[in-house]
Amino acid sequence: MDTDIHLTTPTDQIAQYADKPYADYLSAEDVQLKSPGWDPTMGGKIEERTLLTPEDIEEEVKGEIHIDYPIVNAFVNLSRLSQSETAVHLQRACNDLLLDQFLDDHDFHGLATVATQKPDKAAEELDRIGDEDKIVGVFLTSTGPRPPLGDPEYDILYQAAEDNGLPIAYHGATNSGFDIEFPIHSQEFEKFVEAHVNAHLWSQTMTLTSTMVNGIPEKFPDLDLVFLEAGISWVPYMMFRLNKELSMRRSEAPLLEKQPEEYIRDSYYFATQPLGEPMDPEHMKTMIDMVGKDSLMFASDYPHWDFDHPTELNGYLRSLFSPEDRERVLSGNASEVFGIGI
Amino acid sequence: MTEHVVADADEISDGERIIAQIEGREIGIFRKDGEYHAFLNWCPHQGGPACEGTISGTNESTFDRDSLELEVCWENEGNVLNCPWHGWEFDLKSGDCLAPRDDQLPTYPVKTRDGELVVEL
Repeated sequence: MDTDIHLTTPTDQIAQYADKPYADYLSAEDVQLKSPGWDPTMGGKIEERTLLTPEDIEEEVKGEIHIDYPIVNAFVNLSRLSQSETAVHLQRACNDLLLDQFLDDHDFHGLATVATQKPDKAAEELDRIGDEDKIVGVFLTSTGPRPPLGDPEYDILYQAAEDNGLPIAYHGATNSGFDIEFPIHSQEFEKFVEAHVNAHLWSQTMTLTSTMVNGIPEKFPDLDLVFLEAGISWVPYMMFRLNKELSMRRSEAPLLEKQPEEYIRDSYYFATQPLGEPMDPEHMKTMIDMVGKDSLMFASDYPHWDFDHPTELNGYLRSLFSPEDRERVLSGNASEVFGIGI
Repeated sequence: MTEHVVADADEISDGERIIAQIEGREIGIFRKDGEYHAFLNWCPHQGGPACEGTISGTNESTFDRDSLELEVCWENEGNVLNCPWHGWEFDLKSGDCLAPRDDQLPTYPVKTRDGELVVEL
């Protein structure tokens, strides 16, 4: 079973299921339902694959990548439309298209498209199609919607999803407003903790990515880069994601001569605070082990409210590392990087 | 090793390719600058049909530490094979992956004999 199969839904197809004047709106030349202009094909090095028909799904998804149960989504980016009235109308068109062309007569399941601009109208749409057996969930683009999707404004949407037995599937994307909304989202959090949990993470993942893709560790091989106050659990994720993406898109970072993980292990350092708190301490041990004794530095962040006392990290280090390696994390790495003899 | 005649050599013009079925395997045979190169049509990344991808150049880059000048140049036009699934780049002559990792397309000896293309498997 595959939970994320994207249809390619041409706007003229959606228009066939829309009423006037919205159908005409879709043919207006300045309407962009899809892309802000990024180039996913690297100038045509790879083709942009499409799934336009049920036959495409049969042949490519079921046939070539051996998926028995595809769960498809229309992948129409209604949440970015400026005219919310149009977005609300088009959610019905998208879902009717999905049912008519893909679900009713084929052995697929699908996720409902909703416009997040008007959560009450999204809820009405879920009530309208909620008893369709082939609709098994709600597709929500998590990058574009404002305010962020936990805001009480959306409660009515969640209520309708729950009433209809439909799980929510969140999907991040570059093309759904990341370029515009990323800085704005942070202004719309209601509680400090929402901003605080994300601020360090977003800033540091962005900085790690930016320094890597621009080749900072290759340009300045003797320069050490130390990341403070985002903890360490994000590091393995980024390390492995950068390995993957920069092998696929090497031509966008041609200066790099090693895998990102190698640069991270050579030039990047990560201060441990705020050490995350998994329910199973074994998981934190795994995390510390993955980032590694040569890349970790203790930090307390004292006197801030979320400071770490050294005993917490030390407890892990004692059970994980030799006394020498424990010493590296508690003082040796920082001593070398900052050039402080001890 | 068994020799397999797969085509007449002049069936492939320079810069072009054929995909042949040999002993149940798909083998891409490329002609480039008068030489022939044969690779398994199987990307070491996730198994995509690498030999069916576009042939292009790629970006190479140099950085001058003193002037801080970064130069990015499009190079090797016609010598870079791009896997159609994820864009992994391979040197069309050696099959080596251009990303900094120890991967390459599996290669096979290929030669011409009496005007015919012969692949050893």
